[in-house]
Amino acid sequence: MKTLRYRYILDRLFLSFLVINTIIVILPLLIMSSYVIVNGISALNLDLFTQELGSPTRAMQGQPTGLVHTMAGTLVVDIMALLFAIPVGLGTGILLSEYPDHILNPVLRIMNDTLNGMPAVLKGLLAFVLIVKPMGTFSGISGSAALAIVMLPIIARSTESALSIIPWSIREAGLALGLPRWRVVLSAIVPAARTGLITGFLIAFSRAAGEAAPLLFTSFGNNYLPKHWTGMFFGPVDTLPQRLYSLAISPYEHWHRMGWAAAIVLFGFVVISFVIAHLASGNNLQKKGNSR
Amino acid sequence: MKKQILLTALLLLTQVAYSERIDIIGAGASFPAPLITAMADSYRELTNQKVTVNYQSIGSGGGIRQFSEQTIMFGMTEAYLKDDIMESIEKKSGGKAFNMPITLADVVAVYNLPGIEKGLVLNGEVLTDIFSGKIKKWNDSRISKLNPKTKLPSLPITVVHRSDGSGTTNIWTSYLSSVSKEWAQKVGFATSVNWPVGIGAYGNEGVAGTVRNSPGSIGYVSFSYALLNKISYAYLVNSSGNTIKPSFSATTAAADIDLPEDTRALFTNTSAAKGYPVAGFTWMLVYENLDKNKAITNQNEAEELVKFLIWAITDGQELSESLGYAKLPQAAVKRNVAMIKQLKWENKPIGSQLIESSKLK
Repeated sequence: MKTLRYRYILDRLFLSFLVINTIIVILPLLIMSSYVIVNGISALNLDLFTQELGSPTRAMQGQPTGLVHTMAGTLVVDIMALLFAIPVGLGTGILLSEYPDHILNPVLRIMNDTLNGMPAVLKGLLAFVLIVKPMGTFSGISGSAALAIVMLPIIARSTESALSIIPWSIREAGLALGLPRWRVVLSAIVPAARTGLITGFLIAFSRAAGEAAPLLFTSFGNNYLPKHWTGMFFGPVDTLPQRLYSLAISPYEHWHRMGWAAAIVLFGFVVISFVIAHLASGNNLQKKGNSR
Repeated sequence: MKKQILLTALLLLTQVAYSERIDIIGAGASFPAPLITAMADSYRELTNQKVTVNYQSIGSGGGIRQFSEQTIMFGMTEAYLKDDIMESIEKKSGGKAFNMPITLADVVAVYNLPGIEKGLVLNGEVLTDIFSGKIKKWNDSRISKLNPKTKLPSLPITVVHRSDGSGTTNIWTSYLSSVSKEWAQKVGFATSVNWPVGIGAYGNEGVAGTVRNSPGSIGYVSFSYALLNKISYAYLVNSSGNTIKPSFSATTAAADIDLPEDTRALFTNTSAAKGYPVAGFTWMLVYENLDKNKAITNQNEAEELVKFLIWAITDGQELSESLGYAKLPQAAVKRNVAMIKQLKWENKPIGSQLIESSKLK
């Protein structure tokens, strides 16, 4: 018979195994973020947030140069992409979870997973063929469309799993009140799954926010702010991941430092969006702690 | 009410800026990107913010592709358009595609030999044998013959080449091909080739980094990169037998040859006596019938593009040397002017009109 001590040891062993694994998961993130911050902190200044990039001569001659157009462009393109992706992804997720017998579902599930596994650059090419070519010019909209295709399968999947953990009793309660099925979904299931849904949107958002490849041939890039605010939608737009890459491969020391600073900004951008979403979902950590 | 006034004011303000500004969109080779963006900056200032040139580096291949797809107003490439692309564009647009030299690319052999920071002399034959793996040690008699005063170490040679497709590789291998028939047959020249020996590194920065960290290594990067990052580079003996120290004027001199009218020519291993042998043009691609390029929507845009082009080959060249680029030789400017004169918008000769009104005439 196993002694109590033996069981305790086993339990501790298992727990420490979990802790070590968690640390291994977190460690690269910590190393990466501290490396980015150490390298980029010196290039973080007011100009970075207020000036346009222009050319490397500006940097070499000490004239003000920054990434205000890149940050504005990233906000516009990413948020617009999320707005494109949410209705479609949400709809797909609802169909998969709430209408499990629907004839489309098996195909939809396979297609969705395939789309998720497809390289992002292909999604950029799709947006290039569908939007850039007919429009005759690179545009923020086409970049958003490409990113929306990156977000779509993630949102659909996370919506499906967020909805499917809602107990059936809630659906039955709604139906018993005489509500039609779509009403039950919209008024009972979706609100109940709100936290899970928003987390899903966020994962999709931050995944897309780091993509540079689909933007190369869609939003294209720009060294300046567009001539008019509509240019953010209908003209070439700069975005952080893409600019980061082009700064990093340039031969200029100053641009390398700016690239690190851009990485900090992108990093902060993703963190801030996580915080906002946590607040918006009304389910911050403290509440969670209390309910347990 | 207040809000409304503010909104109208804002709208008016943006509207004013909107009607005045013209955006010129171009893309292509990454090598000239710093120069073109610097030109864009100066030109923007010169035109009081009216004309903004947006150039993005997507690589020479991407530049040619987007140029034929007509999503950009001008392309930029380190390899001139091949005949089949020229023909297909002529079929589509009813006019030629022009390759206009804007700047020069020059590639230097960078090395890491402790104690020999400057002045190592090499020639085409020796370089070919090093890059073919036939010369394996730095104190090989053929290298020491070229450097009688230098004491060469008996280090093994490590060749570093680009692992990615690149215009730099194109110029470098085209030089090796033009000095050695054997190299031309076995390896040839392209943006990426099957290297007989050596290790690959990504980008100019990768090659530079690897060379800097490994004593005894030799690689090739664009001249401006070697200058800006203070890496030792070799002097080369050119086809006239002169030892040439890489410099902007030597690069410009290399292009001082009999250029064909469409400037589609390679001049690696140049016959010019004072020319640096590993150099080539970087071309701007423009449609002869500007109205047939879907990326250009009105005559105004076309005219501003031509004006920028004229400025870029004249006053714009002044920016070159401070950024690490050689100036265009007069021969190339002359060819450019002849091509610009043929540019049309809906059959109106806007190119020659604008040349007339510029100081070029």
